[in-house]
Amino acid sequence: MFTEYPLLTILILLPLAGCLALLPLWNCRVSARPVALGVGLLELALSAWLYGSWRELTPLQAKLPGYLLVEDAPWIPAFGIRYTLGLDGISLLMVLLTSFTFCIALLVSWNSIKEKTGLFLTLMLTMEAGIMGVFLALDLALFYLFWEVMLIPMFFLIGIWGHGRKIYSTIKFFLFTMFGSLLMLLAIIALQLLHAKQTGIATFGLHELLKTQLPADTQLWLFAAFFLAFAIKFPLFPLHTWLPDAHTDAPTAGSVILAGLLLKTGSYGLIRFGYPLFPLAAQTLTPLFYTLALIGIIYASLVAFAQEDMKRLIAYSSIAHMGYVAIGIAAWQPVALSGSILQMANHGITTGALFCLVGMLDERAHTREIAAFGGLWGKIPQYSFFFLFFSLASLGLPGLNNFVGEFLVLAGTMKKAPLVAALAFIGIVLTLIYTVRLVQEVIFQKERQPLALADLSPRELLILAVLATVDVWMGVHPAPLLDLIHGPVQLLTGGGL
Amino acid sequence: MSQADLFAMMPLLILAGGSVLVLLAGALRPGGYLYELAGALIAAALLWSLLLPAGAVMPGLSVTPFSRFFWVFLDSIGLVALLLAAGYNRRRGITGEEYPATLLFALAGMGAACTASDLLMLFLGLEAFTFAFYILVAIKRDSVKGGEAGLKYLLNGTLSAAIMGMGMALLYAATGTLKLSGLASAANHPEALFLGGAGLVLLGMAFKLSLAPAHLWTADVYQGAPAPVTALLSTASKGASLAAMLLLLPLFGAWHGLRDLLWALALFSMLAGNFAALRQSSLKRMLAWSSVGQMGYVALALVAAPSGGLRAAVFYIVIYATAGLAAFGALSALSDRFEPDRLDDYRGLGYRCPLAGIALAVAMFSLAGIPPTAGFIGKFGVFNAALRQGETTLAIIGILAALVAVFFYLRVVVMLYMKPAGDSNQLRSPGFSEIIALAVPTAATLLLGVHPQPLLDLLAKILT
Repeated sequence: MFTEYPLLTILILLPLAGCLALLPLWNCRVSARPVALGVGLLELALSAWLYGSWRELTPLQAKLPGYLLVEDAPWIPAFGIRYTLGLDGISLLMVLLTSFTFCIALLVSWNSIKEKTGLFLTLMLTMEAGIMGVFLALDLALFYLFWEVMLIPMFFLIGIWGHGRKIYSTIKFFLFTMFGSLLMLLAIIALQLLHAKQTGIATFGLHELLKTQLPADTQLWLFAAFFLAFAIKFPLFPLHTWLPDAHTDAPTAGSVILAGLLLKTGSYGLIRFGYPLFPLAAQTLTPLFYTLALIGIIYASLVAFAQEDMKRLIAYSSIAHMGYVAIGIAAWQPVALSGSILQMANHGITTGALFCLVGMLDERAHTREIAAFGGLWGKIPQYSFFFLFFSLASLGLPGLNNFVGEFLVLAGTMKKAPLVAALAFIGIVLTLIYTVRLVQEVIFQKERQPLALADLSPRELLILAVLATVDVWMGVHPAPLLDLIHGPVQLLTGGGL
Repeated sequence: MSQADLFAMMPLLILAGGSVLVLLAGALRPGGYLYELAGALIAAALLWSLLLPAGAVMPGLSVTPFSRFFWVFLDSIGLVALLLAAGYNRRRGITGEEYPATLLFALAGMGAACTASDLLMLFLGLEAFTFAFYILVAIKRDSVKGGEAGLKYLLNGTLSAAIMGMGMALLYAATGTLKLSGLASAANHPEALFLGGAGLVLLGMAFKLSLAPAHLWTADVYQGAPAPVTALLSTASKGASLAAMLLLLPLFGAWHGLRDLLWALALFSMLAGNFAALRQSSLKRMLAWSSVGQMGYVALALVAAPSGGLRAAVFYIVIYATAGLAAFGALSALSDRFEPDRLDDYRGLGYRCPLAGIALAVAMFSLAGIPPTAGFIGKFGVFNAALRQGETTLAIIGILAALVAVFFYLRVVVMLYMKPAGDSNQLRSPGFSEIIALAVPTAATLLLGVHPQPLLDLLAKILT
């Protein structure tokens, strides 16, 4: 119906247009917020429309199998860089997650950002455009560009509106990410040169580069560079140290986006680029990948157990949860990979909700120490209900979304590497331990400090109710989403459609 | 010299004659519209070289698309630097006709350096603009630091001139010609004398481009000179020196030893510049050291010259110039009777002086090579050429040094936006000329980041 329009470009440009619309409202907090949220909702509506009509979109089997929409134009012919965007089931799921998470993030920071609101909203929308670009780009140079563009707003977000050692955290975050991505840039250029040597065509297009014949040792070097960049984002043990700092010191909206989206760019990059481009090298490094993911799950769960700060606890639990995504990718098997992709969305929603909850508590009590709370069930029942609900979702209660993802990952991995799957089960037990401790100390137990806490406001209730609904829907009826990613996953793992 | 030759040479003549004219006008009407006059003259030279395509070959000079590109480039920098200087000099009490006249003379010298077709003219052009900078650096006579910087620059500059002169003499002794084309053909079967000469010339050029280990003057001179002068010195003089370097490059292809020398210069510059910049607490010194590092990337592109490195090098110098102008422009727009020099002086300035803050922040991101600024495309081009040339080791070292650089560039952004303002003194808001002088390079930095193709096409055309 609308497919004659460049819908993917609109997905990227709409938030940027929103930034321009915000300029005249720069110093007017009251009217700037609805405008930004309006842009976010418009973006969500567009992605939802794409999702609603993906079955009607004609797949481009002849040109790019598995893709529903592709836009392609020359950008910098001198270097062979093209502006190629493509939408398949996986990126559609990620686009949906992105626009949804941004609406939540804008809503959750509605009252908590009191200074420089215009700048804050502009940065948020710029970041949305950058993340959309990451999930849509099919040209490696273009992908790299978006990959870096999304860092700058996050750098400011943590540095300006963060708490605690915010400047240390934000610089650490930026440098860690840059370290990986600069080496990936060299690998991208090298890949293009190797391709040009074989075919005489200088291009960064993913689907041309997939045809490059690479000897195993070259693959290994190039894959190592890609892997490093994505593993830092993921984050995999031992490259995870930036994450607890960045998550803890970021404002709530920043934590939600970090956990919900920025980590996903790492796993998405590995699925879209790393594994398909260098299959031999990926196979060679799979044991390493398994090991790091398992260490990550167990180590992060143990560390999470020892945390006193709730945000830090959830940050470490993020590392553990992303470990399952990593295992599913490493297995590179249809069921496990579907589980991983679904788990990316699940983790975004559940952990995003938990960060929202901690942020709300922080706004009220001005502390995130676990030891400061207790007995919230009696005082603020609505809040406590949602806290319990998302904690249960996080530990994988059947019927809620994380269960589906983790189950698929472990079921798929069981076929390929039973030992890994068995060890990963230990992680689930550990998750149970630290989550139960969190819930028990914060919600139940006796009140430890007399804190005057108000229950949820209508805005907060709306945020959490929407998140909970999505959570249940994805847990009870994940079939439509699995259908959506089925085709691309089959193509990636080498099966036919 | 025929009429057509004169026509082609007009931009240089306007600048050289204009310099004398401004001096005379200053003597007759002190305090008249000297900056406006100088600005009009630069603009005239700029438009002439932009709009009237003409080529000419004369003894010692040949006007080609290559030289006309550099004229346009250098004159634009000159114009922005003059706009910056107009307000700055008034505030800091730098009066008189010397400043605009010397600036015009410097531009004329730079123009000659990138038009030269023999060694003598090349030397003349290089030394003419360096000479003008000796004056400009120390133009604030009551400033101790300015005087010190001027003297240091003079001593280092004359040393480099002597080295280069000696090199040229050896080249002449070896081949009996000063023509660059004759020397280039002699470079195919070089003898020892020729190689010695070429090596010395390369060393002299390393001084001009502040490549390590010939970079030691850079930090002191950049810090001591007034900010608009540093803006010009760090961008236009580097641009003109690169043009001269490109003209000389065929000579250095003679022997792999010279290529290795350039390789080492690139390596040392990238490491020394970026690591030393880490430790600076003065913004100007930090930018000076970082420019040593940036020139290392230009040298890396020159090492990869056979694989498209020339275009990468010129593109890099253009984007370096836009970022440098924005950064030093912000510095001079923020300075009142004193220049804020310590990094700490920039706390919270991003909010108190938004335009200068944005210009400085964009410049920092561009110098750090982060998209969507032009610096990313510049680094991309350089590393593309380097990898194609097979310089993998140098490319990896370079990109890790760039990571180090990200840290100190970010520190400036952190100061601007993430630290509370130190004092709440009302800041002067920038004047109209300063707004233009800040907005143009900042916009260019962003535009070249998302749409670099036209410039890349142009460079491909002029570098054939």
